[in-house]
Amino acid sequence: MIDVQNVTKSYGAFEAVKDVSFTVEQGEILGFLGPNGAGKTTMMKMITCYMPPTGGTITVDGLDVITESMGVRKKIGYLPESTPLYEEMGVRDYLNFVADVRKVKGTERTRAMDRIISVTGLSKVIHKDIHELSKGYRQRVGFAQAIIHDPEILVLDEPTTGLDPNQIIEIRNLIRELGESKTVIFSTHIMQEVQATSDRVLIIDQGKIAAQGTAEELKASIAGQIHLDMVLRNADKSKFIEVLSGIEQIHLDDIKIQKNGDIEAALKVDAGTDLREQLFDLAVTNQWKILESSPSSFTLEDVFRKLTN
Amino acid sequence: MSEILAIYRKEMKTYFNSPIAFIVISSFLVITNWLFFDYGDYPFFAINIADIRGIFDYGAIVLLFIAPAVSMRLISEEKHQDTLELLVTMPITDMQIILGKYLSTLVIFAIILGGTLIAPISISFVGDLDSGIVISSYIGFFFLGATYLAMGLAASSFTRNQIVAYIMGIVIIAVFFLMNGMANGSGLIATLFENLSIRFHYQNFFRGVLDSRDLLYFISLIFVSLLVSSTALASRKNK
Repeated sequence: MIDVQNVTKSYGAFEAVKDVSFTVEQGEILGFLGPNGAGKTTMMKMITCYMPPTGGTITVDGLDVITESMGVRKKIGYLPESTPLYEEMGVRDYLNFVADVRKVKGTERTRAMDRIISVTGLSKVIHKDIHELSKGYRQRVGFAQAIIHDPEILVLDEPTTGLDPNQIIEIRNLIRELGESKTVIFSTHIMQEVQATSDRVLIIDQGKIAAQGTAEELKASIAGQIHLDMVLRNADKSKFIEVLSGIEQIHLDDIKIQKNGDIEAALKVDAGTDLREQLFDLAVTNQWKILESSPSSFTLEDVFRKLTN
Repeated sequence: MSEILAIYRKEMKTYFNSPIAFIVISSFLVITNWLFFDYGDYPFFAINIADIRGIFDYGAIVLLFIAPAVSMRLISEEKHQDTLELLVTMPITDMQIILGKYLSTLVIFAIILGGTLIAPISISFVGDLDSGIVISSYIGFFFLGATYLAMGLAASSFTRNQIVAYIMGIVIIAVFFLMNGMANGSGLIATLFENLSIRFHYQNFFRGVLDSRDLLYFISLIFVSLLVSSTALASRKNK
């Protein structure tokens, strides 16, 4: 549906996007994940025909964003970052204006208005002016204008930024709901968000794709290891380090001595190895008392930090 | 065309949703009529001649301050609110956006023109107005305003600040208006400046003659201003 090939975008000497390629299949929800300034917004601005790429090609349903821009724009519904709206207009006037520009007319307009008002839950504020609306309702108006022409593709730039937790959940549900029938690209810097809503994740950092795949695949890609946090009493630090260095599958991440002399160690253990018995025997031999031993697997957050640091 | 009208309708709603249209229209009419009827060395009531040229002389100056106020928000506010990004990613060309916005300012100006008719109509009851001169003067005044508004729109497309757009608009218009006073004598430069100045071409309409050169001058200025505005919108692409 969306095909991005070797795309580069420079602002003067600064390269915001560097040789990025990816595709989005029809009906897929793709989450753009990346720290602020990673190039997510720039990428979206190029897909939505706001500005052309400096190099490479982007096609949307086979149409080129530069040479067939008008065709591309008709297929896309766009919600830019920070949801720009005409403050001085009424909600209904504004939606009518977007319908006008997008040539949604007559009975089709009536149906479209009914549909978007019910999907986005705007009926309570439809007669108000936009500047009177709360942040959550503003966001819904932004969504409403993006889907008024029933586009095949939705591009949403940080759609949940600045919302309260309840609103965030509502908007995520909305994205999932819309994603059932549409191709959706949305960006965020919140990990749970992509995990909760998207089929596939694309991690962007410093203008490049750092990783892509499903949330599970990404976790698996660095989950060759698991975390193991241990607290030991009656153990000597240097002896402990020496003993552990004898085991190939264990990597010491961090070690601290607590006030009462207990040792607190953060370990990484290669996945697929079961060292429980070995550790128990070592503890017995050295007369260590294991007070705590808690393994944990990696989160998408870890993947993100590892890739973008 | 429907895209242009969509933009036009939105702008008209915005003008009349806020007090801006009423303020702009009423201040022009009040100030201009007051200047014409009751101000200066030759107020209408004192000289007692059925001539409404004063409307257009004073009007040209008052409009220099009023027209940029009509056009100042057109693009700058879209930039300020970031709505421009949404607008230019809809299926509409930059020129259609500019034309729709320009059309709305022309309609505001048409209302102003309608308001000035009070003077010629009332005077025609008590005196003998030369209707030929009145008509050609009105045509001249229309083109003058249309040019001011196009220049104001161009100024608005360069900034995200309405006040900056307003002042820039006044300066651009004033430079073109007064250009004939910038070089003295009869040399090539002086002739060039004179032919480029708005005042020079505007004055010709009061003789009751429509010269295609004057019309062409104003139409060219409007065309160039609109082209500049559209180019300024497209400059996002070369950032």
